[in-house]
Amino acid sequence: MSSFVELLTENYGALASGFWVTCRLVVGSFILSAIVGTLVAALRIAPSKWLQRLGGIYVETFRNVPLLVLLVISYAGLRRSGVEIDTWTAGIGALGLYTGAYFAEVLRSGVFSVSRGQIEASLSLGFDYPQTLRRIVLPQALRTVISPVGSITIAMIKNSAIVGAALAVNDILKEARILNSQTFETEAAFFWAVVGYLLLTVAATIAIRVLEQRYAIRR
Amino acid sequence: MQGTTWRWLAIVALALGVLVAAGCGGDDDEGGGSAATTPAQTQEFAAGTTMAKLQEAGEITIGVKFEVPPFGFKNVKTGAVEGFDIDVANAIAADLGAKPKFIEALSDNRIPFLKDGTADLILSTMTINAERDEEIDFSEPYFIARGRILVKKSDNSIKGIEDLAGKKVCTALGSTYEETLKKQAPKAKTTLVDGYSECLEAIQNGSVDAVSTDDVILAGMIIQDDSLKLVEGEELTTEPYGAGIKEGDTAFKAFVDESTQKFKADGRWAKSYEKWVGQYTGVEQDPPTMTLEEAIDLSK
Repeated sequence: MSSFVELLTENYGALASGFWVTCRLVVGSFILSAIVGTLVAALRIAPSKWLQRLGGIYVETFRNVPLLVLLVISYAGLRRSGVEIDTWTAGIGALGLYTGAYFAEVLRSGVFSVSRGQIEASLSLGFDYPQTLRRIVLPQALRTVISPVGSITIAMIKNSAIVGAALAVNDILKEARILNSQTFETEAAFFWAVVGYLLLTVAATIAIRVLEQRYAIRR
Repeated sequence: MQGTTWRWLAIVALALGVLVAAGCGGDDDEGGGSAATTPAQTQEFAAGTTMAKLQEAGEITIGVKFEVPPFGFKNVKTGAVEGFDIDVANAIAADLGAKPKFIEALSDNRIPFLKDGTADLILSTMTINAERDEEIDFSEPYFIARGRILVKKSDNSIKGIEDLAGKKVCTALGSTYEETLKKQAPKAKTTLVDGYSECLEAIQNGSVDAVSTDDVILAGMIIQDDSLKLVEGEELTTEPYGAGIKEGDTAFKAFVDESTQKFKADGRWAKSYEKWVGQYTGVEQDPPTMTLEEAIDLSK
């Protein structure tokens, strides 16, 4: 056990920098996925067939392509076609757009949990469609999707390790692997990597739990 | 009517399943040893030694590179692994009287592979150095590579390692160049990837300015893409390659040394060198005479 502590104290800087890189990746991707997810979900429940189809195409594209393939396309692929994209933009972009597809599906299911009758009632009371969405449907939809959004966020935190591996971004996992290659302390290096990811996922879990207790609809 | 449709579907599905299974099976066979030469005379080994165990099992698992021409790479047509390291591996396996089974060993997992028994032997362009020697045992050097830098032909700004300051340089995670770059070019921005094919991709798509590793690996990249060139001048390092053996297995090390010594002495080394390196680089080289101690001292 002492070798575990030693590895941490001697290489604290490297592990901490990996932790911050992962944090930035995760926060950036979360914001992007929340924005994209909301927009796409709005398309999918729009009153026009074509807008719905557009949203559907987005979801099916980004949900059905493996994240690693998306990353290769968004970095190496774009660079080869002359776009000077950097690893951060490509990494956050790919992870955010990928997670956004799941986000959209979850939000859509939340919207469908609000009964058709409420929407009709709202429309007949004189609210227009955007108002109905904003004031009647979304407040209820958001409160039902807190738990699945939590699952997506945790999956996204773990998926950030794929970004690090694919794009040579020095995230938690990459720093642990560098330590492993230099010290050969395989168990200790990966132990601290797991601790790093746990810190993030447990924080996300607690945040979701608090939100749930405060806002979730109890049925 | 409905019943017959379903029956037909079931038959088609079954047929597909059988085809797929057959296809996979065929693949497996090809993926194994490229030239499993059964030796004419099989040596007898003392019971309990690694050699006796491997001979008994009839198979030796050897960790090699799968994407580093010309030392270890998958031939896309046949699916077999080929290269200089593979020739050495086949020679050792033949002396052992066992079929070689090749698995991919990356720079950062090859030492764990030996420690946990995933691989019996490692032949993956591995440089002998003092730090690694504390973790595993090495054979005597079977090849000597030199550390060099690869850049685009159009790039005239990098003429030596001192010019790497502020530039992005790619090398493999867990390779000796991680340290070399840190020491000799502390201001360079190092990109660490899993395998050298990723470095080739990175310099091609412009996300790094240079690749630093063994000259023979870099030569392999130039064979694949002639818009790249080596930076002339003094080599950065001398990199003696050794076969990796589990720490403390002295009998097996002696056997591997004897086998590679034969490989060097009877002309097979020279033939293999010419086939994989010489004909492309035009550089002539003799089998290394450097000893393991010299190789370890070199890294200190």
